[in-house]
Amino acid sequence: METRPKHKWGMIVDLDRCTGCEACVVACHAENNIATVGEEEAAKGRAKHWMRVERYYEGEFPDVKVKFVPVFCQQCDAAPCEPVCPTYASYHTEEGLNGQVYNRCIGTRYCANACPYTVRFFNFFNPIWEKPFHLQLNPDVSVREVGVMEKCTFCVQRIKAAEIQAQAEKRDLKDGEFQTACAQACPAKALVFGDLNDPESEVSRLTASNRGTKLLEDLGTLPSVTYLQRDSWHDGKKS
Amino acid sequence: MERRDFLKISAVTGATAALDGCGKPDVQLIRFIPEEELTPGVAVWKPSICTMCPAGCGLMVRVMEGDAEVVRNGTLGLMKMGLAKKLEGNPHHPVNRGKLCPRGQAGIQVTYHPDRIKNPLKRAGPRGSGGFQEIGWEEALEELTAKLTQLRSSGQESGLAFMTKPLRGQRRELIERLLRAFGAPPPVVFEPFDEAVLRHANLLSFGRPQLPTFDLARSNYVISFGADFLGAWNSPVAQNLAYGEMRQGRPGQRGKFVMVEPRMSQTGANADEWIPTRPGTEGVLALGLAHVIINEKLRPPDAAGHAGSLIDGWSKGLIEYTPAVVEKQTGVPAATITRIARELAEHEPAVAIVGGAPLAQTNGLASALAVNALNALLGSVAKAGGIIFSPPSTPGKDVTTVVREPRAGFESLHHTLARQKSGEASAFQVLLLYECNPLFATPPGWSVKEALQRIPFIASFGSFVDETSALADLILPDHSPLESWLDDEAESGTPHGVNSLAAPAMRPLHNTRPMPDVLLDVASRLGGSVAAALPFKTFEEMLRGAFEHFLKGKGGKPVMDPDTFWKEVQEQGGLWSDTEISFHGLGGIDHAPVQPGEPGFDGAPEEFPFHFHPFPSASFYDGSTAHLPWLQEMPDPLSTAMWSSWVEINPKTAERLGIQQGDQVEVASQHGKLQAPALISPGIAPDVVAMPAGQGHENFTRYASGRGANPISILAPMIVPETGSLAWAATRVRITRLGEGKLVLFAGGLREQIHEHKHR
Repeated sequence: METRPKHKWGMIVDLDRCTGCEACVVACHAENNIATVGEEEAAKGRAKHWMRVERYYEGEFPDVKVKFVPVFCQQCDAAPCEPVCPTYASYHTEEGLNGQVYNRCIGTRYCANACPYTVRFFNFFNPIWEKPFHLQLNPDVSVREVGVMEKCTFCVQRIKAAEIQAQAEKRDLKDGEFQTACAQACPAKALVFGDLNDPESEVSRLTASNRGTKLLEDLGTLPSVTYLQRDSWHDGKKS
Repeated sequence: MERRDFLKISAVTGATAALDGCGKPDVQLIRFIPEEELTPGVAVWKPSICTMCPAGCGLMVRVMEGDAEVVRNGTLGLMKMGLAKKLEGNPHHPVNRGKLCPRGQAGIQVTYHPDRIKNPLKRAGPRGSGGFQEIGWEEALEELTAKLTQLRSSGQESGLAFMTKPLRGQRRELIERLLRAFGAPPPVVFEPFDEAVLRHANLLSFGRPQLPTFDLARSNYVISFGADFLGAWNSPVAQNLAYGEMRQGRPGQRGKFVMVEPRMSQTGANADEWIPTRPGTEGVLALGLAHVIINEKLRPPDAAGHAGSLIDGWSKGLIEYTPAVVEKQTGVPAATITRIARELAEHEPAVAIVGGAPLAQTNGLASALAVNALNALLGSVAKAGGIIFSPPSTPGKDVTTVVREPRAGFESLHHTLARQKSGEASAFQVLLLYECNPLFATPPGWSVKEALQRIPFIASFGSFVDETSALADLILPDHSPLESWLDDEAESGTPHGVNSLAAPAMRPLHNTRPMPDVLLDVASRLGGSVAAALPFKTFEEMLRGAFEHFLKGKGGKPVMDPDTFWKEVQEQGGLWSDTEISFHGLGGIDHAPVQPGEPGFDGAPEEFPFHFHPFPSASFYDGSTAHLPWLQEMPDPLSTAMWSSWVEINPKTAERLGIQQGDQVEVASQHGKLQAPALISPGIAPDVVAMPAGQGHENFTRYASGRGANPISILAPMIVPETGSLAWAATRVRITRLGEGKLVLFAGGLREQIHEHKHR
């Protein structure tokens, strides 16, 4: 018997609100036990930022324009990372997330090669928390060891906690009741998280915006993240 | 791994490390009886206050049970205790409304930092050698008390100096009362990116010696002259929130944002229109805009009222500031000036913001007054969508006593230094240091190190050994903010009067004591008038007394039970007034009319062809957060650099000088030189080179020491004459390629410049 999953989690990134401040980047480190790697490893491209803010320059001085684009796992419906995994460590959850089972991962890194968004990060060595930094670790999130791939989970620990709480109280989840760490921190409210199966949710409302696009849409990955394009000056009116 | 196993392992490894540390492997780590009851796995949320910058955002701290090695009564042991796990914005706080910036998010690393000072320290070896030995609190307190008693018995009470970061609330009250009762001068307030110029300008223009608040959410047009208001300036979280609303928070309406600056900041990167100007001519541009508005009769000159009267030639319509003349001075095309002036006048409410580099020029005060006058002309002062001032946090209290004296910052530092250099008789004998690092953040020409070296006794309350506290004879380590009682009165960022309050979110990890409690202890040991001025056993008691002021109704009777009230204030994270925007006190102070005039620069253009533009870093602010690894590894928003310093150079300039991305370059002024890798950036004028502040620490924990270069170390001792502030944007430099360098950039796969990844 097949039933439609109750939730379909999605995100909005409003590029007209995003100011590139990077609060989301640090919030993600704090929430998800992402270890820093230090200067030498960072120089080899091994810094782990599940959330990053891309920066694009256009034009030459003095006519320079910049675009900030926060990029993280797009939780694709047709995710290129999933079919390539020989151990089913990358799999599709009922609620539409691209799950990553750390205990199944044997570190082939096929998924990272397949991902067009470069949002998967490999643990080239065991993470280090100089004592007593380890006391800050979030007990709701497992720490990853050497040889394991990791990536944005849409803060699945927060999703699960809220679902369990709502179930215990015999009620439905309310829109905005919980957020991912990045969306909660975002000072300009550029990031909005919510349930795309709930037509009343803010994320559903914003996904329908005429500014909405998907990242690398042509690839057919069917991302759960919608980017609202930057607007421009039309004498005080929205486009 | 199961959470249970994970905790077990961390407990075991924790014990091993502690044993190594003690050097007594035969002693087992004692397990202490928990001091609080917590349900494993269940989070408790406690309000606190962010202290990472002066904005004063409210926090909610997620506290969960864990095993920590702690010191109790001088013994190291293992304790099950509530540990801070994550910081979020307090959704009810009127400044940040549930949001937090990257520095705020990283604030939790201060508490758990491995290089925190864990016990009182006494200098061992020559001063500045970095040698310290651990001592007990009783010995430390006795030593400090003895030094102060000695001053008092020899009639040298004025030989005591207290140097601190800007303080508000009861910490400030406590320190001032102590110094007054002792007979010492008021505290020396030190702030690297000093806001005295803007406060002084706002006092003259509007009668408010205060940083402004911007109601951007309701603005239709925003022009910023150098203020990085979405990055690290003023109240960035409040400003980001309001900015987001200005862009996409209103149906059908979207405000425009214009940025004026010679080097594109993170804020400027968001502008609809980015306008580079010659450094120091921002005030001229503001007056050029005002000229067009007045000349085209879009507003009458007297609309600017008192703020306009402070500008020379205002009432006659600023006839010298025609677009053609302003183009010559600023480099901004006349047609652009005319168009923007019209847009400003036609899109009410429009607001102008000034901050950062324009105010760090020798003509900074006049530039600030020019922008203030432009705001007044546009009718944007104390108006929805315009510039407002947060009301006094304490009802009935005169705002000028709540807000810092605008001239207190650098001028008091100059005064202190002069006094120290002038000779034995009047010099300081004892210096107390709290949360400031003038050795790192002053130009070499001020000789701060030499002046401090001459003070016979220095005690620091620092949590970390930095450049300045390395000179200390005694270190009395403070609790971390999350372990402390805190209060704060936000200066800006909100239309409400705010008194934030926070009880400790967690118990202390180390053998530290809160600075205010140490001062109260010392006061009581000193006895006499000092003890009488501070009759509190703890800082908590003092705070509670201060907040009881708010409990009094009309007739002086408490409106509710004091215990309930105190509990409720703590649960909410403070008290805030209901009233929106208060317009009281807007008036201004008479002053001879000014003009921006020519900015002065150190260094001849022939020998030093580039303007040097240091800027507060997104990660490290003024350098005080460079010790946090999350911020070191956070890619800079524009350069994407991690763990480094860099020098931003225009592509054409770089080509002319044969400099490539990542090459090591030398930047030299008349006052010093430094080395850093080059970053070729299209967002910088060809005659400007820029560098982030914050790196280049000689001594600031394992993560920041010896990393990168400090732009302040080559600045000329130029000042803004009216306030004595450091004119940190008034130095000229030359640059030379030295060879290949190393620039660590973060590059994801979508980035257009894949080669940025290259590590050289």
